[in-house]
This record gives sequence, structure tokens and C-alpha cells, in this order.
Amino acid sequence: MTITRRNLLTGGAGVALIASSNASLARAQEISVNDVLNDPVGPVEGNPSGDVTIVEYFDYQCPFCKKTHPTVTDIVASDGNLRLVMKDWPIFGAPSVYASQLALGAVELGLHTRAKEALMATEGRFDHAQVDETLRAAAIDVEAVQNAYLENRAKWDGLLDRNSMQAAAMGLNGTPVFIIGRTLYPGALDRAGLEKAVEQARQEG
Amino acid sequence: MVLNWKVAEGYYLYRSRFAAKTQVGRSLPLNLPDGEPYDDPNFGDEQIFREDVSIAIAPVVQPLTLTWQGCQQDGICYAPQTATLTAQGTLEWPQPPIAKDRLGFLQAQATPETVARSAPVSTGITVSEETGLIESLASRGGSAFAILAFFGFGLLLAFTPCVLPMLPILTGMLAGQGAPIRARRGLVLTGTYVLAMASAFGLLGVVAAWSGANLQVALQSPAAIGLVSALFCLLALSMFGAFELQMPAALQARLGRARRRDGSVGAAAVLGLTSALIIGPCVTAPLAGALLYIAQTGDVALGATALFALGLGQGMPLLAVGMFGPRILPRSGAWMKVTKRVFGVVFLGFAIWLAGRVLPGQIILTLWAALLIGTGVAVWTAACMPAMLYRSATFTLSILLVVTGILEGVGAALGGSDPTRPLAPLRVAADVVTRSSEVNFSTVTSAAELKRTLSEDGKRPALVYVTAEWCVTCRVIERGPLSDPGVIAELVEMNSVKFDVTEMTPSARDTLRELAVAGPPTMLFLDASRTEVASSRLVGDIDSAELLRSLRIVGQ
Repeated sequence: MTITRRNLLTGGAGVALIASSNASLARAQEISVNDVLNDPVGPVEGNPSGDVTIVEYFDYQCPFCKKTHPTVTDIVASDGNLRLVMKDWPIFGAPSVYASQLALGAVELGLHTRAKEALMATEGRFDHAQVDETLRAAAIDVEAVQNAYLENRAKWDGLLDRNSMQAAAMGLNGTPVFIIGRTLYPGALDRAGLEKAVEQARQEG
Repeated sequence: MVLNWKVAEGYYLYRSRFAAKTQVGRSLPLNLPDGEPYDDPNFGDEQIFREDVSIAIAPVVQPLTLTWQGCQQDGICYAPQTATLTAQGTLEWPQPPIAKDRLGFLQAQATPETVARSAPVSTGITVSEETGLIESLASRGGSAFAILAFFGFGLLLAFTPCVLPMLPILTGMLAGQGAPIRARRGLVLTGTYVLAMASAFGLLGVVAAWSGANLQVALQSPAAIGLVSALFCLLALSMFGAFELQMPAALQARLGRARRRDGSVGAAAVLGLTSALIIGPCVTAPLAGALLYIAQTGDVALGATALFALGLGQGMPLLAVGMFGPRILPRSGAWMKVTKRVFGVVFLGFAIWLAGRVLPGQIILTLWAALLIGTGVAVWTAACMPAMLYRSATFTLSILLVVTGILEGVGAALGGSDPTRPLAPLRVAADVVTRSSEVNFSTVTSAAELKRTLSEDGKRPALVYVTAEWCVTCRVIERGPLSDPGVIAELVEMNSVKFDVTEMTPSARDTLRELAVAGPPTMLFLDASRTEVASSRLVGDIDSAELLRSLRIVGQ
């Protein structure tokens, strides 16, 4: 019995999809471009009225998401006219889900960007305890963000659900995936690749 | 029983992400081999497999769900993968993910490296492969027959808008000789012009073999247009008597008086080359066929010779002008002068018309206004001369020129851009009504947009019309078959897309190559699967009947 790379690459969709029922599959097919670009509750960074939107599906444990991240924030900051929508799509199990939940809980406390940057600055994989440590090191009260998440649990779990449903609907294989303008780029992009993609999105209007 | 994972080069699997669970969710311990330590300061004992992995497990008595997870190095980390190992020892895979259409987002063709290298974006169109024009001709009667046939096509094309602009250029060139010229001299100059034009066509073939691009289309650049525009201004000045078009005096002295007139022969050659390459960049069916033949077979010799024959054919009627023109043109005196000035104005008009391909419409309208009013005033002054004949007609002409010039000027001030409809900005309201009788094209300028527009409306057959602002024949098609109510009615059923290549960017050039299109005007007809329908493509000038025929083939 042999498991080939092809099977590895196309064998299954995200965690959420595997766990989801037929009903949510049906819902996944109703997702539109607008749902991807303008989620009602998802955090928006950069210039909210920028002319090009960079969407990134990411996981806090995905090494290449983290490697690319400083470049992404740098380009968004220096360009000044880019809208950044980072979509939590935890695919590395429970610690990733936990990290996303706390980072989203931090939204209410005005600490989302700080929490997110701290988690993105870690290298490689982590467990629950290391998530807590990382946030504490960034002067974030872990209990406070946990409570903030629990108070708005329906809202944030709904967002995580929608993100993974969108990923399933688009047949995304993993993280990171960038959507820049109208084009979908699976996998990490280097600076030149990101700039090129932004330029292309601008040309296409 | 042993399970094997084959890990492709550049990919790895996380040791800690392997799992096996029974149907009730109980985890089974897996006897995993040691992996390679992963450079990860946070997670000291993280191990990965870059090579194939074998796991021995006890024979299963109930279905087992296997999961594992891995990444492509420096690329993407995949979501966990699963498979079910049945009690019979076979593997079952979950259904592949739904919705392959990415919600309408375009899939970049690429890994990060290729994105950085800006891989050409594909249009997703499958081009119909058909036997080319040259191949079918050559198979019927050999190469000589194909070349002869191309000469014939050239003759047929001689009276199309592609060749017509060359008539005033050629006549102006003859009139600009200053002294009365004999038929033989006229023939030499015209012959040079036609030979240069035909050579330019042959050159197109050579360049196509070398670069895969249509040089005519590539030359519609601001620099080339500006240069030729300037050339026409110079010609106009020489017509007004500012200087004589000839070789520099020093060169003339060295070559001796016998060669004195070669300057104008050289000018004829330059005009012939630029006429074919830049002034009338006309893509016709035989031209496209020859370029494709060269691209597909690499047979430059036959392809370029056929193109040369095509250019020669197109030039035949011009030769007649060269022979008989001098007889019609005034030989000397005041009329000679007047004729030269008229051609001077015509050449300035050419310069403006050419510049219109790269300059904004308002500037062009202003230039037309200046030329028309200037000419009108000059005609008025001429009409005031005591010896003037047909005085009232001349005054009328002068007034007409000035009034038209003023209209163009007003149009420019209003923000108009079309010299034939300078006051169009005033008619915006009326336009809303007339629009309904036009074909509803969506205009795209890149492969990515083209692909998106085609996929947004996936079910209907599609028409892709390759056009450009500098394409003279395109205007003829738009005023002709594309304004025909019968055609418009049929086109309602189609997803009609204009692919505008006015700005010939490298990516537009790549797209034209992908679609095997030599340049505008070309029409591609695609079925619902975005495959080009066999023998439906239209290249060059067409009439309603041809367009309807292609539409019927697609409709079937």
C-alpha cells in the first residue's frame, strides 16, 4: 500500500471540512467573493479604504506564514494604500485554534495587533503553554483576553468557521494562501512576488 | 501490515502530526521511525520526515482513520490529510474538496519563485489547431503555388483601408520631386517604394521567426509613432518649400552629380518601409496565416517569401499610380506649387492622425483645429490674390476649413476626443438611447482580466475580439458588420469581450502568442468550455455574412 504525494496534496480539505456536515458543505457553496473580502467581524489592518486588498489565510504555527509576515506588514505599511485582511485558518490542531481564539479575544481590548504580532514572531510550532507565555511576554493579560474571547465566543467561532468554510469552498490546500486583488497565490511569497502581485492587482483595477 | 508514505523532494511531513484513530475516536499508538530534527527553538523535539516513511501496524480488525500533515519547504503547509484504512486492508480517500472554481478568484499559476519571475498569466483558452493557409496551399500545388497565391491575396487586399493611406503618401512623394518627372522616373520611385514595402512584409516573417511577435504590432509604440509622425512633419515642411529632400551636400559632392537624385530614392525606400510597418499596420488573414506558419514550422524561407509576395501584390496598384500619376500631376508653374502645398497639408494630417494613436484625444483635436484653421486662412489669403480663378469656391472652401477647425477646437475644450465627432461630449444624453443598438462588449486589456470575464459568464459561448485604437480595419469592422442589426441580434447570445492591445505590453504580447493571434483585428469564437470552435476564427476585414457564418458554427 502506497500513499503518494498526489494523495498528500489533494487527499483532503481542512480540519473543519472533515468535521463538517453536508449542511455546511451546502453553505460553503454559497460563499461569495464579497464574503472573503469583507467579513462583518473580521479584523482589517493597513489602510481600510486602500485600493487593493491583501487577504492572507494563515495559521500561527505555519512556519512560512511567520517567515513572510514581516515582509507583508512592511509592504502594507510602506505602501499606505493597501488593505490587509488576515484570516485565521487554524490547521495545526488545538494549539493553533487556541492562539487564534486569544488573538481574536484581544480585539475587544484593542490588543489584537500586539497579540498577533507576538504570536507571528514565534518560530515553528508551539503548545498551549507557549501561547500563554508568548502573550505574557508581550505584556498581555492572558486571562483578560481569554475572558474577552469567551464573552464573544459566538462571534469569533463564527468567524473561524466562515474562514475555514471559505478555504474549503476555494479548495485551498493549506497556509499561507494570499489573495491579492482578484488573484489567488497559494504558498509563501517573497517581497518581489508580493510587490509584483500588488502591482498586477493595481493594473487590473 | 506496512504503510508507506512517499515524500516528494522539497516536501516534508511532521512526525508529531501522524495519528491513527478507531471509529470511536480512540487513538492507536504508532510505531514511528525517528525523523530529522527540525530547526525549531520553541519545540525542541519536533522531528520531520523528508524521506519516505514506513510504519508497521498490526492487522486491523476495524476501520482506522489515518491523519498526517506536512509542508512544502518554504512554500505552503497543507491542512491535515486523512484516509481510512478499512478492515479489508484497503485505503479509502475522502472526496476531493468541492468548488474548484476558487469562487471566481484567479489561480496564480505558480509557486513563489515563478510569481517572482512573473510567469505569464494564461487565458485558459484552448486554441483550435488547424492546418495553416500556407500548408494547405503548398500541399495543393507546392511552394511556388503558395507564393503565387499570396501575390494574388495581395492584389485582392490592395483596395482595402490598409493600402489606401499609401496612395496620398506616394502621390505626395511624386509631387514633391519639384521638377516635372517622367513616367520612367515615377516608376523607379514607386517601384522602390513598393519593393521596400514588400521587403518590410518579408522582414515581418524573419522577425516573427526570431521573436515570435508581429513586428507591426510591436512597433505601435510611442517612440516609433513619434518618429514617423516627425518624419511626416519634415516631409510637409519640404513640401512647403522649407528645404529640398535630398542627401547632405557633402555626401552629394563625394558621390558626384550623377547620384544627385538618389536622395529621393532613399526617401522612397524609407517611406515604403514605414508605410508597411507603422502607418498601415494591417493584420489580414494571409498575413496572420503566414506568421503562424512561420511560428509553427520555423520555415522562415517560405513564410517570408510568401509575405514578400503579399506585399508585392498589395503594391501593384501603387505602381500604376507611379506610372500614370506624373501624367495627371501638373508639370510646372503655380499649380505645381499649389499641389505641393496641398500634399504638405495632407502630410501634416498624417502626422496628427498617427500621433492620435499615442496622444490624448483632446490634444489631437487641438492639433486638427490648428491645422484646419491655418489651412483655411492660407486658402483665404490665396483667394485674395488678384489672379485667382474660381474665387467664390476658394472662399467657400476657406470658410468651411475655418468653421470645421473651430468645431474641433470647441470639441477639444469640451473634452472631446473623436475628431470625426468633436462635439460628442454634448450628446451624452442622446447616447444612452443609441447605445442599445450597439454590441455590448466588455473591454479587457490583460490575460487575467480576459480569463475572469470569460469565467464570470461561463455558460454562454464567447466572442473574443482583439482590437486596438490604432487598428484602422477595426474601425471599419465596427462601423460595418458590428453595427449591422442582424449581427447585433445574434451577438446577444454571446459573451462578447474586447481584448484591447492599444498598449502592447509584454504580457499582452504573450497573450497574443498564446492565442496564436497575429494582431488586431482578430475574432475568436469560444464554446462553453472556452475552446475555440474549429474554422470559426476571423482575421482582418470582414463582412456581416462572414461574421454570421462564424456565429452559426458556434451556435451549433
